Amino acid sequence: MRNPYYLLIIYFDEQQVLNYFLSIKNSFFLVIGVLLTFNGSCRSLDDIVSSGKINVAVYADYPPFSFIDDDKATGIDIDIARKIADGLGVKLELTWMTPGETTEDDFRNYLWKGHIIHRNKADVMMRAPYDRAFSQKRDDVGLLVNELVHMFAPYHRESWQIIHNTQILPKVETMAMFQYHTIGAEIDSIPHFYLTSAFGGKLRENTLHYSSNAKAFKALEESEVAAVMGIRSQISYLSQFVDRNQFSLATNAFPLIGKQKWDLGLAVFSDYRALAYEIGDVITHLVTSGEMEKIFQHYYVVYEMPPYYQH
Amino acid sequence: MNNKMPLKRIALSMLICAGTSLPAHATVTDKDIQNDHLTTDAIVTYGMGLQAQRFSPLDAINKETVEDVRPVWAFSLGGEKQRGQESQPMIKDGVMYVTGSYSRVWAIDARTGEEIWQYDARLPDGIMPCCDVINRGVALYDNLVIFGTLDAKLVALDKDTGKTVWSKKVEDYRAGYAITAAPIVIDGKVITGISGGEFGIVGKVYAYDAKTGKQAWVRPTVEGHMGYIWEDGKKVENGISGGAPGKTWPADLWKTGGAATWLGGTYDPDTGLLFFGTGNPAPWNSHLRPGDNYFSSSRLAIDPKDGKIVWHFQTTPHDGWDFDGVNELISFDYEENGKTIKAAATADRNGFFYVLNREDGDFIRGFPFVDKVSWAKGLDENGRPIYVDENRPGSPSNSADGKKGSEVIARPAFLGGKNWMPMAYSKNTELFYVPSNEWEMDIWNEPTAYKKGAAYLGAGFTIKSVNEDFIGVLKAIDPKTGEVVWRYNNFSPLWGGVLTTAGGLVWTGNPEGYLMAFDDKTGDVVYKFQTGSGIVGSPITWEMDGEQYISVLSGWGGAVPLWGGEVAKRVKHFNQGGTVWTFKLPKRYAQLAKN
Repeated sequence: MRNPYYLLIIYFDEQQVLNYFLSIKNSFFLVIGVLLTFNGSCRSLDDIVSSGKINVAVYADYPPFSFIDDDKATGIDIDIARKIADGLGVKLELTWMTPGETTEDDFRNYLWKGHIIHRNKADVMMRAPYDRAFSQKRDDVGLLVNELVHMFAPYHRESWQIIHNTQILPKVETMAMFQYHTIGAEIDSIPHFYLTSAFGGKLRENTLHYSSNAKAFKALEESEVAAVMGIRSQISYLSQFVDRNQFSLATNAFPLIGKQKWDLGLAVFSDYRALAYEIGDVITHLVTSGEMEKIFQHYYVVYEMPPYYQH
Repeated sequence: MNNKMPLKRIALSMLICAGTSLPAHATVTDKDIQNDHLTTDAIVTYGMGLQAQRFSPLDAINKETVEDVRPVWAFSLGGEKQRGQESQPMIKDGVMYVTGSYSRVWAIDARTGEEIWQYDARLPDGIMPCCDVINRGVALYDNLVIFGTLDAKLVALDKDTGKTVWSKKVEDYRAGYAITAAPIVIDGKVITGISGGEFGIVGKVYAYDAKTGKQAWVRPTVEGHMGYIWEDGKKVENGISGGAPGKTWPADLWKTGGAATWLGGTYDPDTGLLFFGTGNPAPWNSHLRPGDNYFSSSRLAIDPKDGKIVWHFQTTPHDGWDFDGVNELISFDYEENGKTIKAAATADRNGFFYVLNREDGDFIRGFPFVDKVSWAKGLDENGRPIYVDENRPGSPSNSADGKKGSEVIARPAFLGGKNWMPMAYSKNTELFYVPSNEWEMDIWNEPTAYKKGAAYLGAGFTIKSVNEDFIGVLKAIDPKTGEVVWRYNNFSPLWGGVLTTAGGLVWTGNPEGYLMAFDDKTGDVVYKFQTGSGIVGSPITWEMDGEQYISVLSGWGGAVPLWGGEVAKRVKHFNQGGTVWTFKLPKRYAQLAKN
């Protein structure tokens, strides 16, 4: 009740809002969402604006999105976070996230419950999936798994990418080439899973795995592998550091990989829809004005606009 | 006149000395540790003896006297940091040493429950323990209290002051490592395993000089990795685990094979062997790594002098259900046809109870200790599971759209027929008392989990209860026949350790908060005390000033509440806590019973 913004909503619109939601189908969770806004206890848009700063959670040591370079926070997500802070007219504070086993863990630790040691939370989290199947996922007793967070504002579309040594492997026409050539991938990533299990395991013996894409690139440069497969953003970012005459980004397809493309956005605690709308406006402007693509290009990263904006 | 006061003072100080009884400078020796299972006035090993039988020869508290047992003090671990309390207290010279959540340690006056000192590890922000911020206890050696921290260090504290004597980084917590198990001390070496993040790690067993923290040896638990020994301060190669890489793994997957040693080990003085269990292999999806994947989901016998693997026994070769093989291996002897069999037993996550020859690791017999096992038809003559192929979660690459592998209902669930909570063996009844759980899981492999915003390979699980009225079952099991002599059904999952005594009692706690004593022959509940929060720790008993004491930690938490769905519904109303409860049988009741 500290929050005058929500008081206004309650005062003028409570009955109307409830009637409205009750009148539409499947309204149950929407009603809960509205009720939750009545007892918010962490930071709303108004609290953020009046405090003069916003705390944005980014993944630690995760190039090209968020990492420390020369003692300075840098990366695509850092640049976007700065634009968000500017858009709200506040200062930017960063929370560096150590990832848990799943994104749900990260939501819990950084948005709704707080860090396991000091209980601090961030106001908004970068790189949340923008995926209806994911945000509407239910557990075995039928409850929404992620009802405590609101995922919004997709800012780019991610995919897969292979980079190959053109001296060993001039062209990657299809994945079948890796029955005859070696390929590296990050352990336990989808590329690694794909290479070791797809096509009846025919590529398995030619697949080498590394603890990071950066290490796989080192192996590529030392000709330990003929190619590397990974997330498109990371592969295109890393490709700027190798000789592009010798190493080339392939254009092959990835048959039967399950998820070909996926969208990334932001997340806030479900109470703070108003904050999400405000940030959503900033992101929409960045995407539609072409500024977002420029941020990605600055890091040599292939940019693809999410279909959300393509209408 | 002048002489009277000093005399009185001397007399008074003598009285105080008598009150605190034992010399303040007694230290824990290798002999104390080796004899811990026989001594009743001290508990200086995790497991109440190196073999970890958790059997006490004390019998003052027995079926007749147990009703007169009463709490004598309770100690709050305090703070807002009340999480799962999975610790086993230690006792030496009237002082209790106990760990709590968030890598904290206390020394407590065992007579009064007053705090002597508290140590709080300064934990870095970046730790990400998988299964609650728990700790299972300390090791005692010389004047040191040694324990592992959530940021993967071993810390040795002065037993009198709680000040750090040495601290050693075992692994880098930033790579996902942590330590939660109690270390074990053998012949002056403190030996520990490691908890590992989900991928990219290789399980290892580490030995250090207990007095100085200098490294003695390290033994990787995945085939193909080099072990090392330190000779005169120099790191020397000491043989590759399993001889060579890649014999039971495809491509280069042995490089990051998993097999974390997260539950620590036991020791058998007869054979001079350490027994460590290992976790599941990585990566998670078994279709990516055809082969047995040594030495994941196994028990390893290790020579504590140099860290060499003497024998191994794999409970779940080519694991596809997340059946860690970490559960404790307890040494025990039994007679058969006039011959003494040097055996060892373990109740595995996978639902089978194994009796092995502890001298060479040969399989003697095995049988399910849970009501149903779905993933294997049984064990063959070597103890290898006879798989039910349809009960292995399918590979997503074999599905029509590549999205989700076939889903199976497997039993037990990945939290296991028995999880970390230690069982006990009674020399009197020759039965094992096994804290088990009846649950199953929907399990599948899917390539669409998100991690750091990237699409990742995930495994889906949903744990489900099987019975309306119980999940936990405490079972009395005859290791010679597999017969379940008695069982006690508990509504919520059992997650605490077991203790048994010559007084004919079996002690354990439940998440509902009760410390319970059972008749070791019939399973009748003969004592119950509500501790205020769930019990997931291991009880102990000892003797002090001629009276028998019982202690247990109360504080609900651990892995169970972290999993959602149906099982979480049974436990979500349990309140947090953090209390050491101590009970005793007053002397006069013990004497009454004798008369």
